Amino acid sequence: MSAVELRGLNFRYAAALTDALAGVTFSVDAGEICWLYGAPGAGASTLLLAAAGLAPRFTGGTIEGDVRVLGDDPRTAEGRHRLRGQIAHLGAVPDLQLSGVAENVFEEIAFGPANLRWPLDRIDAAVREAAGRLEITHLLTRSPLHLSGGEKQRVVFASLLALGPPVWLLDEADSALDAEGRGIVAELMLAERNRGAAILVAAEDADAMLGVADRVVLLDRGVIAFEGNPRELLSHDLAWERGPGGTSIAGLGRAAHARSNAARFAPPYPLGVSEAAARWR
Amino acid sequence: MAVSASKRVLRFAGVRFRYPGTDAAALDGVTLDVGGGEGIGLFGPNGAGKTTLLRLAMGLIRGAAGTVELGDLEPGADPEDRARVAGYLFQQPEAQLFERTVERDVAFGPRCLGWNETEVAEATRKALEEVGLSRAAEEHPYNLSAPHRRLVALAAVLAPDPPLLLLDEPTAGLDRGSRAVVRDAVLRRRASGSAVLAVTHDGEFALEALDRGVILERGRITASATVAELLGRQGAPTPPPAALLTRQLGLTVAVPRFESVVSALVGSLPHPHTAH
Repeated sequence: MSAVELRGLNFRYAAALTDALAGVTFSVDAGEICWLYGAPGAGASTLLLAAAGLAPRFTGGTIEGDVRVLGDDPRTAEGRHRLRGQIAHLGAVPDLQLSGVAENVFEEIAFGPANLRWPLDRIDAAVREAAGRLEITHLLTRSPLHLSGGEKQRVVFASLLALGPPVWLLDEADSALDAEGRGIVAELMLAERNRGAAILVAAEDADAMLGVADRVVLLDRGVIAFEGNPRELLSHDLAWERGPGGTSIAGLGRAAHARSNAARFAPPYPLGVSEAAARWR
Repeated sequence: MAVSASKRVLRFAGVRFRYPGTDAAALDGVTLDVGGGEGIGLFGPNGAGKTTLLRLAMGLIRGAAGTVELGDLEPGADPEDRARVAGYLFQQPEAQLFERTVERDVAFGPRCLGWNETEVAEATRKALEEVGLSRAAEEHPYNLSAPHRRLVALAAVLAPDPPLLLLDEPTAGLDRGSRAVVRDAVLRRRASGSAVLAVTHDGEFALEALDRGVILERGRITASATVAELLGRQGAPTPPPAALLTRQLGLTVAVPRFESVVSALVGSLPHPHTAH
């Protein structure tokens, strides 16, 4: 059994003329980072909401097909009950994910564990560990409502990390973070994967995802256009032709090839800086 | 409304500010000038005070010590007056989109400034065209993808063509195509004399669209230099791959922007017609 399984998934928003997702079938295993890549409107956010059981429940629209997370259907009340504390869905708008009832950041991070009725000493340890990993221990006594955008994003990340969820659904979840924060999130994803979590992550930054993703699913207007090795996708033109583009280095290669027609700039493109330096020296 | 390249549109001098109920100062003696046509990056770690500085300029928070001068306005000018001088792109586009169609959201600014309906319609059409979302004019903003929602918010800021653009992470979470839209809009507005002060963690955007930058740390400016010099320093964005490649290959480009790097790469080859 895969951690996340989608079969024949169709989704259409109310009053929309086309499907946001059309016949999407794939799965994410425990211990794997699967990257969802696509141009705006390709369906990545919708897919994550559906996998979290949030669409159509909070978005409206109609869904068809099968959704299973850890064997349960997050669209049903029974499934959600069994999955409580198991799925971390994190979007790009941290204000939507703050509890609104916590007086300080400590309580905010403790909100999930407390609702699962963990013993106090376990909550305390989990909060401190999560805060330490996001490097926000100095914020624990501050009000979550009076933090900067990037600090709030770190807090909501920590509040999910404290639960130790086996399934992560991340939607541009590091968009407000500074360079250091992005590095922390990349390390976290790798660490959580290595301890067996299944991570499905929608991200536009191909340069960052190249070093993190085990597998990529390219979405093009609700349909899977490619599924496989990120290096294979990013060293060719498909993702440029189907919307989102690719790494900055491949972009340089494409432009240089278009201008010079020189074979050294032709695909397969180098993907990282040192590969490009070796090939284009 | 363009201003001459030399004219100062925003000035902070010795600005200090502390949020009520907090111990540490959010801003602790910030001095910064922004002139017409300039593109300045405001860098710094999360919580350094970057957004606070923009909000003070817009009059959205008050009570700072020191000087905050926006255009020719009086220090206590209302946000409504400030809107004639500066457009503010919020960090979260959801904070500024509230109309039932994209078109109405973009038209809101010009309409509030008292433009006549012909001018409003023309400015709205142009701004939506500039961000490539003319086709979405009748959509509800919340029916769009997150990147396109941010571009709608940008169009709403561009529509009244203010002399100063204050942009809070304008490329966060955007795809490659949308980032190019933001970059081009910034360069176009700067070329016509508007100034841009942008909070960003995006090194590629900073390098392509801005010239100068400052690093803000714990409410103080700790460095001020060209964007190219600042990238990679503590608190500043990481240099984009094109800049790192330029360094590794020893390419001769003044600023490692995409087009210059491509030219340098292609130029390093024997010319196709002379090579035998």
